[in-house]
Parts: sequence; structure tokens; C-alpha cells
Amino acid sequence: MNRRHFLTRSAGLIALGAAPPAFLSRAVAAENKDPNQRILVIVQLSGGNDGLNTVVPWADDAYHAARPSLAVKRDSALKINDHIGLHPQLSGMKELYDEGVLSIIQGVGYPHPNRSHFRSMDIWNTAQPESEFTGDGWLGRALDSNLSRFAGKVPALALGMDNLPLALVAPRTNVPTIRSIDDYQLRFSDTAASDRKLQQSLARKLADGKTGGDTGDLGFLRQSLSTAIDSAERLKEVTASYQPAAPYPKTQLASNLKTVAQLIAGELGTRIFFVSLGGFDTHARQAGSHAALLGELSGAVSAFYKDLKAHNLADRVLLATYSEFGRRLKENGSLGTDHGAASQMFIASAAAKGGLHGPHPSLTDLDDGDLKHATDFRSVYATLLDRWLRIPSAPVLGKDFAPVDFLRA
Amino acid sequence: MNPLAPYDSRQQGWTRRDAAHLLWRTQCGASEAEVARALIEGLEKTLDRLLTPPAEDASFAETAALLRQTAGDADDIDQLKTWWLYRMTEGPSPLTEKMCLFWHNHFATSNVKVRSAKHMAAQNDLFRTHALGDFKALLAGIARDVAMLIWLDGNANRHRSPNENFARELMELFTLGVGHYSEADIREAARAFTGWHVRKDEFWFNRLQHDTGGKKVFGSSGNFDGDEVLRLCLAHDACPRFLALKLLREFVVPSPGESEIAALAASIRAHDFQMRPVLRELLGSQLFFSAAARHSLIKSPVQFVLGACRTLEVRPNLKAIARIIANLGQDLFLPPTVKGWEGGRLWITSATLFQRANFAASLTGSDTYGKLTAPVTTVTRQAELLLACDADTAPAATWYDKASGSIESRARGALHLILTMPEFQLT
Repeated sequence: MNRRHFLTRSAGLIALGAAPPAFLSRAVAAENKDPNQRILVIVQLSGGNDGLNTVVPWADDAYHAARPSLAVKRDSALKINDHIGLHPQLSGMKELYDEGVLSIIQGVGYPHPNRSHFRSMDIWNTAQPESEFTGDGWLGRALDSNLSRFAGKVPALALGMDNLPLALVAPRTNVPTIRSIDDYQLRFSDTAASDRKLQQSLARKLADGKTGGDTGDLGFLRQSLSTAIDSAERLKEVTASYQPAAPYPKTQLASNLKTVAQLIAGELGTRIFFVSLGGFDTHARQAGSHAALLGELSGAVSAFYKDLKAHNLADRVLLATYSEFGRRLKENGSLGTDHGAASQMFIASAAAKGGLHGPHPSLTDLDDGDLKHATDFRSVYATLLDRWLRIPSAPVLGKDFAPVDFLRA
Repeated sequence: MNPLAPYDSRQQGWTRRDAAHLLWRTQCGASEAEVARALIEGLEKTLDRLLTPPAEDASFAETAALLRQTAGDADDIDQLKTWWLYRMTEGPSPLTEKMCLFWHNHFATSNVKVRSAKHMAAQNDLFRTHALGDFKALLAGIARDVAMLIWLDGNANRHRSPNENFARELMELFTLGVGHYSEADIREAARAFTGWHVRKDEFWFNRLQHDTGGKKVFGSSGNFDGDEVLRLCLAHDACPRFLALKLLREFVVPSPGESEIAALAASIRAHDFQMRPVLRELLGSQLFFSAAARHSLIKSPVQFVLGACRTLEVRPNLKAIARIIANLGQDLFLPPTVKGWEGGRLWITSATLFQRANFAASLTGSDTYGKLTAPVTTVTRQAELLLACDADTAPAATWYDKASGSIESRARGALHLILTMPEFQLT
């Protein structure tokens, strides 16, 4: 489906000859690839994803020797080249890879890896492995460094979570967590349909208040409420007519990403979305559960990408995955794997170069039984900040990190 | 004129709105009956009552102890939030709990790093013990508090490799504010706290790691230990000013002026950091009851949610309100950084406004957050109770007149609109 289809379907107004509503003209304006319109979607794989059974070194004997019961069989890996392939459940992402829009950054980690979930997830989220704990997140600091640019908007949203992820914790920016799109509009409980219109118009009147000056915080609150109601109405128009251009699987992650797609199409000005897929802490009997998680990831990511592409949004949106650590090379005694170190990150976007970045970590040159990292995760963050979101990374990360070349020019 | 000159309620008046102003600022919200009581008792007696916590009755104390115990045993921070919210809503001294929250924000410590509901509870008890009392004693307690020592890396502060984390925050965030100390002061002060460690979940003075050598802080020299550095900070001119600014922003106006800061700082010094007489002076002052102070502060999520519940006489579902308060940006025991919540306008985004409005819809239209027990009255009376200011309540009145449904359901719909008004976001 091309943009014209989207417009016609979504509004029906064009056919009537009316001027396109504001949100549609914004969608058109967005096509000029203004970096201010770029969007980052983070998918956090919580629990420590087993990277070796995700991007599989299928041809490596050491892999099969270390994982006699858990190794992905040579002939079932979705082969990328003579050495590595993807887990068979990642067929959707393999399609993206073949299309050249999925980049795989291999061997991502940091020096002196910490194998505690909490500490390591904190390290990935704060991007401060060495320094003292400051309690704010890398994305939160990025938002705070651009406070004026995002004034009055919702610059970032965490979706489907009860608590705000540490990555988005900021001293100044208040990032909302919403469980569903219903949280982003005025809800009216038990109201007769005939009253809805009345309530909606009255809610708008609240923002117009007649008494008291419009200076100071009262004016600010009125302005904020009015902006909020406008954006929710816009969102409603979009979601009412929003047709996902690809079928989303019936999973939680897919449902969250579908909501993200709707919010992006609604042009709310949100630049960062954060969703999470949990359950990767696979210490025992991991084969089935890990495969299911990868299936959920792959199905959701590929549907999301296809949907965005059909809506002409794929080059404005970049999805990145990360997990707090990979797992040890050797399987443990209970058909699972224990906390390890380096692992990979996936980048899905029409703006990505696609392909592999960096070598697959060696299975023989290990650090205390763990894979060594080749790329510091902060290099990937720096690339996402500097080259994608156009937010200077050094103040956020504390120093300069060499970028990773996974974006198209 | 001294901004802290006493407000003379006999001469200048003592109206429902004056009483509501005092109650909203010192506890979260005020029911019809509470406002009526304050109105009858008068300003002086009400202030005395607010500032003198009565003993806890046995059944409250028992439930609170049980909640606290369960949270600690299960090491469940969410459970600990319900304990604190229970204390805030049902406890005998809302102002004590308000000051606990003020100190939690001042000495902001997060369970993200402490990872122990027991230690967070113990720190919260420390805030309660000194909530309206002696700031000097509170500071001495916090410097030995296990959660704080974990939070600011006490055990890493050793003779040969001092860790400056606590010393820096002590000056920057706890007592003086940026600009009133040098990097050298921090380095020297950190040495005075070397060996202030945690062992077996308790404070432990580790003699072997303590640097007994000479130090120079703010120009004075001596073989200072930690307590002496605390005394030096308290003696510093910037300290009462720093506290004055924070108290004014919490209780009175968002941007206090120089004369107001100076007056309150003088009061803090004169009362030797005793919070009760300082607050007595502040809350009974001309400044507090001035037009500039009324409805000038944006309600924090705790004030918004508990204020609505208390005013509408809802015994809240504590788990549910803990969640909504967190979603609105004020996750108790988990402040975003050591700087705490900055608050004010930063509480407000389009998403949090919707969440506030939708909380109001659920509170008035369902039992999700608890049962609404306040008598349903006219829109005018409800608006006066909740807003206590001249606001345009026509939208709520229109709803009451024109919507379909029973009187009760229309009145609840009107309440929803009142709670959604920009005016209600202020206190």
C-alpha cells in the first residue's frame, strides 16, 4: 500500500474534496526526512537473551560440542553465510535480513562484564559501567539535554509496562508509561453514547477557563490540557481509520508494536518508544521457551516493519533490540544456559544498511568461559544518538565513542 | 514588612477558603467535616493541632506494623508503598507524613540501588522520627543510615581511597546547594567520613579505614570526623537559606523571593533547625495567606490522588493508588535520581493530564480506587469543596443539567469534570 492509499483509506475526506486535516499534512511534511521526525523504538529483551542460539554459529564444531542438547541443528539454522545463521523461529526477521533492512551488530558488550541481572541491566540502561551510580538512564539524559526541543510534547513513551524503565529515567523529563492506547485519551466511564459528545465538548471548555489570569501555572495547565485534547482527537482519527498493512500476530509484543505504529502514524511528536519482552532468563529447559520468545520477537518485528513500510514510515523509524547480557557458551546441567557476556543487537529500519557488523565472537578465545565483546554497546548508543536522533552523544555518554556504521548515508 | 509576620485571623478573617488553603497545604485534601472543624477551631488552634501529632490508636498501629513487616519479610517495595500510603491516608498526623515525603525527596534515596525494603523502611522511620523535629539530628541519622550508605557508596569510602559521593551530595543537595563550597572542601570532607560503613545490615564505624589526619573544610582546620563536618555544614550561612528555599517551594510559592528566603532562613537559625516552630511561623504567616501564595503550586501526584480521595471520603485501594501515583511520575521509594523529584511543571505532560483525568473518571464512576462515600451535593458545593477558588464551573454544571441518567450519576460526572479542571491541578 502506498501513501495515497493510506490517505484515502484513513480519512475519506480527500474524496469529498475537503482540505486534508492537519495530521495528514503533517504526515506529508514528514516525508522530507527531517531528522527531527526520526523515531527510535527500543525493544528490551529482559532476562539475558541467549545470543548464541539467536544468531547461531551453525558451522562451528565448538558450538555443537559445548551445547550437545541445546545447539540449533546444522540443517535447521536459517543460513546467512557459511558460518552463521538465525534460529529457525526467526523466519520473519530473516526475510528482513534478506531484504537488506536488518542489521545485526555482533559481539556487543562492555569491559569487565557484570553477570548480575540487575546490575548489568542497570549498566545497559544507564550506560555508565564504570562511574558511580547516578540513577538516570541514557535516553533520559538525552531527553533532558534537549528539553526545549520537546517542550509541551510527550518526547518518549514506555508501553505495556507497569514501571518506567531505567533507560528513560530523567531528572527533568517526565516520561509516561502507558499500558495501552486507551490511556492516551479521556475515558468516560458508563456514559450514554448521546452524552459522549457533550462530555467531550465540556472537557474542551475546561481548558478555556474564563476566570483568573492565563499567566503562570494556570495558563500553562490550560495550554497543556488543550494540547492534550487536540492530540488525542488526532490520535483517535488516525486509530479509527488505521489499517495495519500487515497482519500482526496475536502476541503481547506484537500488540505493543502495533500500538507504537498507530502512535507514530498519529504524529504525536513522540521520538522514543520503549517496549519490553521478558522471560529470557532461561536457566533450565530453555529450548521450547526460548524458541517461543524468538518467535514472538520475530513475528512482531517483521509485522511492525511491513506495516510501517506500507505506511511510508519505514525510513523514519528505527527499531533496536538489546538485552542485559548473553549467556555462557556451555549449556548447564539442566538443559539451560547461565548468565554470560557479549551478545548481539538487531537494528531494523529502511534506513539501516542491513547485513552483519563486526565478526561473530570467537568460541575458542574466551574470557572465563564467556564470549568476548568486539563492540562497546555505547558505540551503538552513540550512533543512535548522533546519527539517528541527532542528539549529541558525548554529554549523554560521558565521552566520545566510535560510531558503528549501520546506517545508510 | 516581614513576610513571616503573623497572619491575624481575627482582623483579617478566617473563611472556609482560608481553612481549606491551610489544610490542602499541610495534608492531602480536606473533607467537608475537616474544613468545618478548622473553621470552628480557628487558625491558632488548628495550627497547634496539625503540628502536634496525637498518639496512634491501637488498631491503626497494628495494621501499619503488619504492612511494614510483610513488606520487609517479602522484600517487596510495592508492599512498602502501600504501608506508607496507608500511613498518609489513615494516620493520625498527615503533616508528619507530608514532612516524611519532603525529607524523602530531600535525601532522595532509591531502592533501585538499595534493593532492600527493610532498609528503605528504616530510612522512612528515621524521616518520621524527625519529621517535625530537629534537622540536625535528622542529618546525623541520615549520615549513618544504612540505605543512604548503600545509595552513596559508604563502604567504598576508605582511608587510602576516599569516595566523595556522600560528601558531595551532603553539600550540594542536603545542606548548602551549588556554589557554597569548593571541590577541595568535598575532598577533605570525604576523608572525614572514611570508615562510615555498613556491616551486617547495620552502621559500622570501621576504625581501620577512618582517616584521622588533619582536614580543612570551609577554611577551618582540625582532625575532623564526620559529625564535625556535619556541624560545619549546619553552621554555614548557606544551610538555613538552602532549607528555607526548599520549604518555601514545598509549602508556599514556586519561586520565592529574596526577602522571603532571608526571613525564613533567619527563623530556621533562630530556632536552631527545629522544624516545628519554623513551620508554625511559616504556616501562620502573612506570606502563607497572601494572594500570591494561593493556588500557586502544581499538585504532586501524591497530593492530587490522595487529595481527591480524602476530600471525597474514599478509603482508597492502596495498591491501585500506588500504581497510579507511580504512573503519574512519583514512584515512592524510587525517586529518579539523588536530586529527587523536581516537581512543579515537570509533573505535567499531555499523557499525565489524561492519566489524572482518567483516574478522576474511575474514582467518581467506579470502585476501582475505592468507594466514594462523601454525600453527593450540588455542583456549586462540590466545586467549592474541591477547588476553594473562583473558577468557572459552568462545564460541570452543564453536565449536571443536561446529561442523562440519575441525579447521582450526573453528580458524579460533574465531579469527574471538576477533578479534571486545570484549577484542581493547583493547590
